[in-house]
Amino acid sequence: MEIEIISFGKISEFIPRQKIDITGISDTDTLKVHLEKAFPQISTMKYKLALNEKLVQNNTLISGNEVVAIMPPFSGG
Amino acid sequence: MSDIKIKNIFVNGKIESGFIGESIAKHSSKTTIGGHSIFMGQVRRDDQGGKFVYAIEFTAYETLALEKMNLIREEIFDKYPIICLHVYHSLGVVNTGDICLFVFCSAAHRTPAIDACTEIVERLKTELPIWGKEIFEDDSHQWKENN
Repeated sequence: MEIEIISFGKISEFIPRQKIDITGISDTDTLKVHLEKAFPQISTMKYKLALNEKLVQNNTLISGNEVVAIMPPFSGG
Repeated sequence: MSDIKIKNIFVNGKIESGFIGESIAKHSSKTTIGGHSIFMGQVRRDDQGGKFVYAIEFTAYETLALEKMNLIREEIFDKYPIICLHVYHSLGVVNTGDICLFVFCSAAHRTPAIDACTEIVERLKTELPIWGKEIFEDDSHQWKENN
């Protein structure tokens, strides 16, 4: 099972757009643990995820083929 | 999907003063308006320990940002008796001294116009997925953090 990862802001400097295998991962809480292992830099940062262009606010089921965005704190305006 | 038309707020590069002037002029035909409140964000030549910002490069997760802005807009219209509301935010490089944010809120009376404008500025800074990269005069950079 694969998902596509995109990232923004500071995080885009070290996590390029890519597909990752998430076999065995079925929700966003488990995905976070997986991402923090794969990309240790984010484990010490504040970040939010969006799943298929929806901000993840509570643990959400993943079925595969989603686009997951990793987003550092917003700094517009 | 919502059938409400989602307005684009993004402008490439700086927001021109002429555009701002024309936006104001367009409201002369809306004679129920009695007060406008305008906020403009300008890129500051910020001193970061002896290094000076010369530009900010803005990027956004555009689809998410526009959807969120649409929700904020609906909530603001429900909360305040305002007549119209316009929001523009730059993408790409904006140099110091140039305008990167233009929020324009109009109502019959001043209080809702001012309060709604303030709330929109605060909310868009914390809730819209937009990022500013501060570029220094020596070409190094750091990612802006909102206070």
